[in-house]
Amino acid sequence: MKESLLEILCCPLDKHDLELENADYDDEEVVGGNLVCTECGEAYPIEDGIPNLLPPDMREETPA
Amino acid sequence: MGLLENKARARLFYKYLSRVYDQVNPFIWTEEMRTEALSLLEIEDDMTVLDVGSGTGFATEGLLEHVDEVYALDQSEHQLEQAYEKFGKRAPPVHFHRGDAERLPFATDTFDIVWSSGSIEYWPNPILALREFRRVLKPGGQVLVVGPNYPDNVVSQLLADSIMLFYDEYEADRMFKTAGFEDVKHAFMGPSYDPEVAITTIGRVPE
Repeated sequence: MKESLLEILCCPLDKHDLELENADYDDEEVVGGNLVCTECGEAYPIEDGIPNLLPPDMREETPA
Repeated sequence: MGLLENKARARLFYKYLSRVYDQVNPFIWTEEMRTEALSLLEIEDDMTVLDVGSGTGFATEGLLEHVDEVYALDQSEHQLEQAYEKFGKRAPPVHFHRGDAERLPFATDTFDIVWSSGSIEYWPNPILALREFRRVLKPGGQVLVVGPNYPDNVVSQLLADSIMLFYDEYEADRMFKTAGFEDVKHAFMGPSYDPEVAITTIGRVPE
């Protein structure tokens, strides 16, 4: 994902802003890290560049 | 409650369906129908467009004939993988996200157009999703939703009710107005052998 996407993304649960943490970059692309809600603290993983913004109850178990 | 109104089941269903989806898809939702639906929108190339339930990217492809970039959201990674093959994983032209239609991860007043085709029938609470569409749309923004029309005969109705949500134009009208849209209009679309198989609804967010 592009870092500029942060301007329009929000927490799907409480709609507050997200902050990018532990980001991995490949050139301009954010390919890993977490999007963390500034209000509730829920973390949404960036998986191979795709932000997974599914609410936690819909998130699949990821193999270790 | 229909069979697919449970999201875990829907995900499982799509995991398998995605493998054949684009082969099956043209029978119910064709390029001609897509073009017809697109013609209902006032669309300019610099508009910010969200495709909810973008799946394998069939509608995204049509939208990209009119705009430079599309924001796409789907819950199923298996569906999205088909779309990555078409457009690449990185924007431009497509910004991909995994997410839930009823709990959108986008800020209020972000989009000029929210499009969703072939997805509403799997939402447990369509009005909740439509309210979310309204929230992320700018004032004056346009919504377009393509869903399956409620079949006329009783046997098909029973089948329809057991599998997924179907609705007619009266129900669609009620849902979109309850969600806060105005100028709500409906169009029926389908291939010649079944010309009313799909119902397309458009509406606008009040200015």
